[in-house]
Parts: sequence; structure tokens; C-alpha cells
Amino acid sequence: MSKKYVIEVSHISKHFRVFKDKGYTLKDIVLFKARRTYEERQVIKDISFKVRKGEAVGLIGKNGCGKSTTLKLLTRIMYPDSGIINIKGRVSSLLELGAGFHPDMSGRHNIYINAAIFGLTRKEIDLRLDSIIKFSELEEFIDNPVRTYSSGMYMRLAFAVAINVDADVLLIDEILAVGDMSFQAKCFNRLKEIKAKGVTIVIVSHSLSQIEEICDRSIWIKDGIVEMEGTPEKVHEEYKKYMMNN
Amino acid sequence: MKLINELYNYREMIFSLVRRDLKGRYKGSVLGFLWTFLNPLFQLGIYTLVFSVILDGGVEDYYMFLFVALVPWIFFSTSVLGGATCIWDQQDLVKKIYFPREVLPISFVLSQLINMILSMLVVFAFLVFSGRGINWVAMLCLPVVIIDELLLSLSMAMIVSGITVYLRDIQYILNIIVMGWQFMTPVLYGIDRVPKELMPVFMLNPMTPVIIAYRDIFYYKKVPELQTLFHGSAMGIAVLLIGIFIFSRLKRRFAEVL
Repeated sequence: MSKKYVIEVSHISKHFRVFKDKGYTLKDIVLFKARRTYEERQVIKDISFKVRKGEAVGLIGKNGCGKSTTLKLLTRIMYPDSGIINIKGRVSSLLELGAGFHPDMSGRHNIYINAAIFGLTRKEIDLRLDSIIKFSELEEFIDNPVRTYSSGMYMRLAFAVAINVDADVLLIDEILAVGDMSFQAKCFNRLKEIKAKGVTIVIVSHSLSQIEEICDRSIWIKDGIVEMEGTPEKVHEEYKKYMMNN
Repeated sequence: MKLINELYNYREMIFSLVRRDLKGRYKGSVLGFLWTFLNPLFQLGIYTLVFSVILDGGVEDYYMFLFVALVPWIFFSTSVLGGATCIWDQQDLVKKIYFPREVLPISFVLSQLINMILSMLVVFAFLVFSGRGINWVAMLCLPVVIIDELLLSLSMAMIVSGITVYLRDIQYILNIIVMGWQFMTPVLYGIDRVPKELMPVFMLNPMTPVIIAYRDIFYYKKVPELQTLFHGSAMGIAVLLIGIFIFSRLKRRFAEVL
């Protein structure tokens, strides 16, 4: 792997088994084999791309084109059927915010649990605690149980943890819709700061304007292959044309 | 090697899951954590009553003979039976976020280990107060035996938790398997009672040397034979390698199947 690239994806493919009626029990599997028919759906056919250190890349495409699956493969929640994915450094994903939050525990306690799931040690969490709380703007409520939070407060806390992980690579799926307008702007500015620090970012979004604002490059995925790649303005122009005609 | 390094990075997650499990277990009960001690104490009381008053079976202090093997056996069987669902139970986490999947079985087994060690404190106390006494030299071998059992429990938990994701029935089949396994391990009786023809089966059972060693240390107050310790360690490492291999194959599709 060359030094320049932090993410290298080469010729990955992925298909899912879409079960019509899935059985988990032995009875279902042995007796009703016919019921377990499934169709193989190839979500990703052949995708390759590279991302340089400090670069921000947006993945666009219509629903079901395979962009979210690509992101899941990058986080290693799933593995490709073929092809290779190479990522250097610590990866943090903002795919699902607030994973592992425990409603009965305080916000402070949940910061520890959630950050631990991102692979931070206690010492690292101690160091980040103040900036996480400050970013979430929940200073007054941080010792209350999370179940008393509004959904906006919940998301703010979760976002604050995820963004303070100090990852080398940040993967984001359609979540810049957190909290009110001012908090959204704050998240966006924070992303720009993080990018300026040399963190590599991959974003999946339907909001082309968001991608244009932060990304250096757009990759348009269509039916499991890369349809077009280039500066956001250029790719989005073609993408919009395509969407209009369909 | 890469796995060990990664798990080391995720140690805080392991600790926090163990803490949550131990804290959560007796949440809402008046006596709380005290139950961890009271449970084995009452159990031991019942065994004493049954086996020294009602069923006097010829083995001296049979309740103690049984108890020192039963405490470690319960650690093993809970790791297998309870561990089976440890990934299934956390499917929200597994589907949504990356972390080394081994973290789940490891933290489940570690919290069971802590429970066993607390039960052993009851055994210690009982040995001291009942006048049976403790051989401190033999005690030095205890960590080796505990580690052997930990490796076995961990690899079994990894294997069964991985299979359970694909096949839910396994947890019900396991009840029977574990029960049979207990009778094929010298828990209720000594290894000297096993007929010669069955000996090879017992020797292939990785739990046999472990239980023999525990009983040597606590009941017979002697240092386990080197052969027993070696047998246990070799089995522990072999089973662990198998467990890691199987789990690494199974874990790739967890997020899709769940």
C-alpha cells in the first residue's frame, strides 16, 4: 500500500441473501428448506477508489445503489465477498449514534460506555470528557439519567462523543441533521476543523450542498459500480441531470 | 497477534461490560452484591445437610468433595449456557457499530470468572473454619488451573455464541449437552471411580484435568501432579486456538444474519 493513501478499496463486491421467510430454528432449517428460499442480490458489483490523507470524499447515488453498504464495509461491520479494503489508522464511524447508551445511567456515565465502544481507554476518555460535555452543551444535565433527555439532547451527546474520538478516518452516514440549526452549524464547523487537522473523511449523503461544502471529491455510485468520480460540482451536475431524466 | 493488539485497545470496553454485568445482576435487591456470597454459602449448607445427614456415601466430607468441584463446574457451564446468547443479546450493537466481536464472549466469561472467584472465597472461609485447613503450597498452583479453565470456558463461549447467531436451537441442545458433559467429568465422583474402558473418553475431556486439579488443591490439600497440570494447559491452549479459528470464520457474517 502506497503511503499517500489512507483508504484503498479495490474491486470489492458484496451480495446479500434476501430471505423470503427466514428460519432460525433447526426445525425451520431441516423441515422447511423450501421456505428458506432466498434470492441473491448483488448490491456492490465492482467498486474501487482511493482516498488520500486529509481528503474528504462524498458518496452519492440513489437509494439502494450500494453507498451505505460501501460505508458499512469500510467500518468492518460487514466484509466484502471479494476484493480488498485497506484502511490505515483508527476509524470512527458516525453511522449509528448513541450505540450502547444506557437510559438509566447518567450522561457522564454514558460518555464512558459509548467512548469505550469506540475503542478508547479510560485515560483517553478522561482527557476528552470536558470537551465532549462542552461540545454537547449539556453541562447542566450531564449527571441526569439519559432517559430524561429530549431526543435532540440525546443526539447531541452521542454526536459529541463520536466526534471527539480523534480518529484518523471518519465515516459519516447522513447524520448531519442533529439538533437545532445552531448545533448543526456547530457540527459542520467541527467537521471542517477536523478535516483541517488532516483527518480523512468519507460522507454518504443525499444533501449535495453539504457535500459540496466540505468534500474535495464526489463519487457517484450507480447499481453497485462507480459511475463517475471527480470534483463535487462536476459530478453533481451530471448526477442531477440523470435524476431529472429518471 | 493483530487480534490481541486490537483487544488490548478495546480493554476499556471489556471492563465496562464486565462492570455493567456485575452491577446489574443484583440490581434492585435489598442485599445486592452480598448475594454473590450468600448464594454459594446456602448451596454449601444444603449439600452439607443432604450429604452428611441423609445420603452418607462413603467419601469423607462428601459435601466438600463435591463443592470444590461444583464451583468451577458452574463457572464452566454458565460460560457455555449463558455465553451462547451473548452476541445475540447485543445484536443492536453488533449490527450497528464495529468493535472486535471477541469482546462480547470475553467480557461475559470474565464476569463469570469473577463470580467463581468470589464463590471460592466462601470455600476458603469454609475450609479454614471447618478445621480442614489449607495447603498454601498447593494454592500456588491455583492460578494455573484457573487460567486453564478460563481458556476452556472462553473458547467454548466463543464457539457456541457464534453458532447461536446462525442457529437459535443450539442453546436448547446445549442444556442437554452440558448436563451430559457434567456426568462425563469427575464432578460428582472421583476419577478413581471411572471404569478403565471409559478412561480415554475422560482423558479427552478437557475439563477432566481441571476438575482433578481443583480437587487436589482444595480437598486433598496436595499439589496437583505435574502431568495433570500439563494435560490441562495443553488442552486449554489447543481448545482456545480452535475456538479463535471457528469464531473468526463465524463473525464475518454476524451483522448480516442478525
